[in-house]
Amino acid sequence: MTIRFLRNKVVEVTSQSDGSLAVSWRLTDDLLQAEIDLTVQLPDLEIVRAEARLQRLVPRIWSAAPELIKKIEGVRVGSGLRKIVAGLLGGPQGCPVLVDAVLESANAIILYFTRPVLQVGEAMEGEEKLANLREMIKNSPRLVRSCVAFQDDSPIMQGLDL
Amino acid sequence: MIMFNRSQVIGAEFPDDQTIRFNGIQVDHIYSMEINMDVRITDGQILTIEGIMKRYTTFVCPQAVPVLQTAVGMSLREEGWQRRMMKEIGRKGCEHFAELIIECARCLDQARLSKAMWQALEKEPDLDQQQFMQNWIEENPEYQN
Repeated sequence: MTIRFLRNKVVEVTSQSDGSLAVSWRLTDDLLQAEIDLTVQLPDLEIVRAEARLQRLVPRIWSAAPELIKKIEGVRVGSGLRKIVAGLLGGPQGCPVLVDAVLESANAIILYFTRPVLQVGEAMEGEEKLANLREMIKNSPRLVRSCVAFQDDSPIMQGLDL
Repeated sequence: MIMFNRSQVIGAEFPDDQTIRFNGIQVDHIYSMEINMDVRITDGQILTIEGIMKRYTTFVCPQAVPVLQTAVGMSLREEGWQRRMMKEIGRKGCEHFAELIIECARCLDQARLSKAMWQALEKEPDLDQQQFMQNWIEENPEYQN
C-alpha cells in the first residue's frame, strides 16, 4: 500500500566560530515547508536571533510567522521555556509550528551538550559506567524521574538521594 | 561541523476509511526509535501500537517498550493529550518514544487534509489548493498540526 502522507523533519546544531550555536530546524511534508533558524549565545543560552519561513500551503492564520518568531529573541533556553514559548508563540493567534520548532530546537541544544558526556561513558564498563551515569544525573537534575531509567526504583538510581 | 542532528520521518497510510496507520522513525546521534500505530480517525483513539528501540543509552531503557501499551485507548484529541503522553509514556517509559508518538499525532489532520486534497485534485486538476485547504480547515475545526 502506498503511503498517503509523508513528513520529514531535521534539526541540526552547529557550533559557530564565535562560540554561539546555530540551530537549523526544517519540516517538509505533502503540504507545508517550514524553516526556522535560531542563534543561541553561550554561556547563558540566550536566543539572540530567530527567523522563520513558512511556504507552500500555509494556513492564513500563520502568515505572520516571520514577524511572530522575533518575540522569542532574548529568551533563554532553560527551565520554564515551555510556558514562555507557549505564551509568546502559541494561542489562537499564534502558530503551533513555531512553538514546536523552538522547543525541539532547545531540546536539540540539550542533547548537543549530552552527546560528549555519553561518548566518554562508552569506553567504560560495569561499575565505572554506572558511576559515570550517576554523575551525569547529579549534574542534570532534570533527568531525575524523567524516564524509566531514572525512576527511583531503577538500578541506576540506587545510592543516589535525588 | 554539525555537532548534533535529529531526523524524524512520519508516514501515514489509510488501511480503511476509519483508520490511519502511522510509521514513525526518529534517529539522532544518540537515539534511534521506531513506532508503528493505528489510530481511529473519528476520535483519535490509539488502537494498536508497537515500538522498536534500536539505539539507546542505558541497560534499563528497553523496559520502556512494554510501557507503550499504556497508550492503547488514549485519544489524540482529548484536552491535554500531549502532556498525558509525556507523563504516561515519556516519564514512565521513554521520552523519545513519547516524542515520536506526538509527532505521528501531529500528522493526523495534516494527513487527512493531504488525502482529501489528493482526491479533490483527481477530480479537478486546476483546483485552487490554498482555498481548498482554508475551506477544509474551516469544515474540520479539530484540525491541529
